[in-house]
Amino acid sequence: MYRIGIDVGGTFTDLAAIAGDRVVIAKCPSTPADPSEGLIDGLRLLAADLGTDLPGLLRQTERIVHGTTVATNALLEGKGARAGLLATEGHRDIIEMREGLKDDRYNLRMPPPRPLIPRARRLGVRERVRFDGTVAHPLDARSLGAAVTSLARAGVEAVAVAYLHAYANPRHERLTARALRRRLPRVYVTLSSEVLPQIKEFERTWTTVVNAYVGPVLARYLASLAARLARQGYRGDLFVMQSHGGVAPVAESARLAAGAVLSGPAGGLAAGRRCAHLLGIGDVITFDMGGTSTDIALLQDGEPPTSGEKKVGIARIALPSLDIHTLGAGGGSIARVDAGPILHVGPESAGADPGPACYAKGGTRPTVTDANLVLGLLDPDNFLGGRIRLDAGAARRAIETLAAPLGASPLAAAEGVVKVVDTTMAEGIKIVSVRRGLDPRRFTLVAFGGAAGLHVTAVARQLEIRRVVVPSTASVFSAWGMLTTDLRYELVRSRVADTARMTPGALGRLLARMEAEGRKRFARFDGPVRVRRALDMRYGEQIFEIQVPLDGLDLGSPGLIAEVVERFHQRHEQLYAYSAPGQEVVVVNARVTVVGELPGAPPERAVPGAAPAAPPGQRRVYLGRWLPVPVWKLEGLPAGHQIKGTAIVESPTTTILLRTGDRAMVTPEGWLDIEVG
Amino acid sequence: MIDPITVSILTHRFEAIVQEMGEAMLRTAYSQILNSSRDYSTAICDAEARLVAQAEHVPIHVGALPWAVQAVQEFFRGRIAPGDVYLLNDPYHGGNHLPDLTAFVPVFMDGALRFWSINRAHQHDIGGAAHGTYNPAATEIWQEGIRITPLRLHEAGRVRDDVLAMIATNVRHPRDFIGDLNAMIGSARVGERRIQALSQEYPAEALLPAVDAILDSAERQARACIGGWTDGVYRGEAVLDDDGHGARDIAVRATVTKKGDGLTIDLRESHDQVTGFVNSSFPNTMSAIHMALAYLIDPRTPKNSGTFRPVRVIARPGSVVWPNPPAPVTLATNHCGQEIAEAVIKALAPACPDRVIAGWGRRFRIAIKGVNPRSGRPFIWHMFQARPGGGASPAGDGWESAGEGQAAGGIKFGSIEVAEARFPLFFEHHEFRPDSGGAGRYRGGVGGVLRFRVETEEAGIANTAGDGVRHAPYGILGGRDGLPHRYRLVSGRTERVLRTKEVGVPVRPGDLFLVESGGGGGYGPPEERDPRAHAEDLANGFVTARPLRGAARRPAAAAGNSASRRAPRPRRTRRA
Repeated sequence: MYRIGIDVGGTFTDLAAIAGDRVVIAKCPSTPADPSEGLIDGLRLLAADLGTDLPGLLRQTERIVHGTTVATNALLEGKGARAGLLATEGHRDIIEMREGLKDDRYNLRMPPPRPLIPRARRLGVRERVRFDGTVAHPLDARSLGAAVTSLARAGVEAVAVAYLHAYANPRHERLTARALRRRLPRVYVTLSSEVLPQIKEFERTWTTVVNAYVGPVLARYLASLAARLARQGYRGDLFVMQSHGGVAPVAESARLAAGAVLSGPAGGLAAGRRCAHLLGIGDVITFDMGGTSTDIALLQDGEPPTSGEKKVGIARIALPSLDIHTLGAGGGSIARVDAGPILHVGPESAGADPGPACYAKGGTRPTVTDANLVLGLLDPDNFLGGRIRLDAGAARRAIETLAAPLGASPLAAAEGVVKVVDTTMAEGIKIVSVRRGLDPRRFTLVAFGGAAGLHVTAVARQLEIRRVVVPSTASVFSAWGMLTTDLRYELVRSRVADTARMTPGALGRLLARMEAEGRKRFARFDGPVRVRRALDMRYGEQIFEIQVPLDGLDLGSPGLIAEVVERFHQRHEQLYAYSAPGQEVVVVNARVTVVGELPGAPPERAVPGAAPAAPPGQRRVYLGRWLPVPVWKLEGLPAGHQIKGTAIVESPTTTILLRTGDRAMVTPEGWLDIEVG
Repeated sequence: MIDPITVSILTHRFEAIVQEMGEAMLRTAYSQILNSSRDYSTAICDAEARLVAQAEHVPIHVGALPWAVQAVQEFFRGRIAPGDVYLLNDPYHGGNHLPDLTAFVPVFMDGALRFWSINRAHQHDIGGAAHGTYNPAATEIWQEGIRITPLRLHEAGRVRDDVLAMIATNVRHPRDFIGDLNAMIGSARVGERRIQALSQEYPAEALLPAVDAILDSAERQARACIGGWTDGVYRGEAVLDDDGHGARDIAVRATVTKKGDGLTIDLRESHDQVTGFVNSSFPNTMSAIHMALAYLIDPRTPKNSGTFRPVRVIARPGSVVWPNPPAPVTLATNHCGQEIAEAVIKALAPACPDRVIAGWGRRFRIAIKGVNPRSGRPFIWHMFQARPGGGASPAGDGWESAGEGQAAGGIKFGSIEVAEARFPLFFEHHEFRPDSGGAGRYRGGVGGVLRFRVETEEAGIANTAGDGVRHAPYGILGGRDGLPHRYRLVSGRTERVLRTKEVGVPVRPGDLFLVESGGGGGYGPPEERDPRAHAEDLANGFVTARPLRGAARRPAAAAGNSASRRAPRPRRTRRA
């Protein structure tokens, strides 16, 4: 039986199918209008490669894991549902007040962003719960009725309900949901007490609003995809990749659509994690450099950290998600020279259309890819396996527009573009490492995404990182990674309490209730289930909580609270270089993660050893001066083969530059394992 | 001659270093004013006290640091050694106001002092007569806090603990103070390490000319922008309500001569120095002018000493923008700092109409001190909610609830749920204030309405500090002013309007605060507003039903929604 990972990106749809020890990959253009079309096209390609047809392939497939940008794009492009918000009377402006903050401090000539739900569709309902869950004002049926009538008249497709302190007492929100479902049965209804039962109204309301905004769009898409697959005879499981790195079934994913906003990059990180396991190393930084952006994440002991807050455009999503840092720079980033003259690269990108000047599709502005072509680092006849012919003249003309104001030669300007983008990348890696107190030098860089190979060795050098690995499946790495994930369900409950006044029994009972609720979601799952627990804690006067894992603690122990507090002090010391024993310690949130382990991590194709490598070709490349450089084909290389820099290694989807002093070896999986000189 | 590509790379590297210093500060600082409101700045200066790079945290800090570096260098000339740490806060010795304490770490390369790694942070207390650093009653600087002239805290790597103990003893929460100070020094040390690492890659012979080139490049960018404005002599004025000690309508007046690619700003006609704490120290005045320039030019231009070379400033000692000691100055980073910038921006409106912005709200803070009946413990709560509106610009409407012009959306207000869980306060209402934004082709951002009840069991006290209940955020190029602030305290059956500079206001159990903050000014004539934008404003309740041409008349009126119908309804307020 097959398992298929499908990563639908902005430009390409990538697929990886695994059967036994075989991995088959396919790549086809995405179809943004209805991404399920491109997805079905990809499945057909995959079927053809496997010598069957679509129904034949689907009959033999037990699991499809899908990473989708539908939720992300709805959010970024403002194409979500027409939604309404019901808030506590007197508090309907929380999302648009933005906690008083504005980005881009010195730019006072920018119009304010439009909120996902305009004020006219944000309505107050007379009700009020206090911080301790007691009711200050009961839910007023007439006020609720009037608000629902207004929303009905406004023609909403979705309603977010977010009342103050609903995490402490969800009753008013539930009664509101009942009224909404009665009056507006076809509308997507989502409650803050279900999406994120957690204190801090800004984060909770925003997350609920995002859910209402993208929920109907994602639900429609997933329903249509499931129906298409069913029509073709598919009877297996369809899972959706979640921002937290696990997967969820379609119904759950549609209910918590805000949890799928990082669905795409999460696959890349899952692949990085699998990669680390296969290589037997724990400390890895993943470096996924694509056309318009670069995703960077850090794994310690083989595990990626999660963060509790993500900003996508103006939206805030406070659900647990993989901590992925995205830089607005990639191969398609546009370079410009200001009046200084100082050279800048990005964040503006030429995208896929018109693309870099060398694509000859109408783009004239210089990009990183153009610079690489001018320097001879890319082969104009062999880009993307020869599917796109690059126009070296157009690239040169574009780069010349930078050379003039810089007073430099076109070659120096092209080198400058590459150096500036390398510096940006190195700084991005510092953000996930150095700024969290971790020394990047002890990490291995795992590089994938089409643009990574040419830059990764220079970036590693800047950071004194010694080891870089480029997997052979680099271009469909995310799709491959999705097959290594588990079912996952995250719960959070706010219980703001001073640990001095907390009993071990109460904490144990809270965690047990949460676990039972999580396990209920897996009632129909018959595999092994793991449960992890953590508390968000802080010192009394602080405002940021830190997460303290409870793994290994006896939850029934009478000394539980003291042990938890001790762990908190240790963790604080670790993170911030100091702790304050004796100070008041507060618990804010309890977290439980329930993981249902899916069987069978995919193997990686082993390449044969011993056979002689195909001899390299040669190309002239500008690295400070023009040099003849050997060019190897990655798929022709046997395991154990060694290459010394300076050299170029090409695969159909990426080009890797080894600089002087670099030494690369082909691993048994056919990957390139580079020791940076 | 150093090549422009190396200069480009080093520009980005210096900026990355000051940002990293800022992150380190954020993660380790102890008090809320630093880790939540981010009232601090990180910067690198060179050995000639020139600003090389500064992280974008607090605009009013921009450009003031060279005076502080100069003061330290002059005082310790010939005695500065690796491992030293210096402190400074006195506004008459290079500082801007007492709460902003600055820590300096000298960076040596090959035995020579080359750079300074600097952290300036607003302390939650700095001693003096009032808690929380703002003392509207002060008539001389000693009542505002402890004055630290250039001081060596660490000598060649060793902390002078006698000096540290003396300073910490003079502020109200010594442990928190030391925690924040450690974070500041840690952040400056991060900068020191990164600059030294940079010097491994680029020797001093390359790095120092690159600094010249970085400053020259910023200067060229600033001049290129200014050069596009219309030559002329322009006048602008911005007026403070009062100083809390009898002076009213305190004007900052700027005469700006724009010629070619340079500006001369003459502030000599500004009001004489006053008794209360709204005087601006000279470094703060320079900061305010730099802030105005930074707001007017291309925001992507780096902010360093080169950027500000096109500007010449003329001021008069003894005036509100250059007071003689011992005048108190603490409010000046807000007011009159903001008014200095406003006078310059208003003056230049005819010279660069496509760049000027309308007025942003002014600061009006309340701090309440009392006993929490739930825990029996004392508490101090600082109000950051009900942010005033931002000014409109040629690019569009002002930002709603974006705060004061000197912070420009950099100050965060905390969660109401968390505040209710921690303090004996109940927030009945916190929404936008309809009709508070000035009308115009582009409308000023609206302010906020906050109504909260104090649930104590014994009386507490409140202090206020701020301005802007009579003088509203200005409209520009035909745009109307926003509404000014209006704060009231309802205690039993009595209601009174709060003044902006009060100490020891009694707060009784069950008292209700009704806070309405000002809205930003409008840009361009209201007649030119797009009718669709006006219709949207009506639908969203940012303005209530009134003709397009009208000015703000009915604050906080109904917006066709049950919530707003219950909003507080103050008496009719006339526009200032």
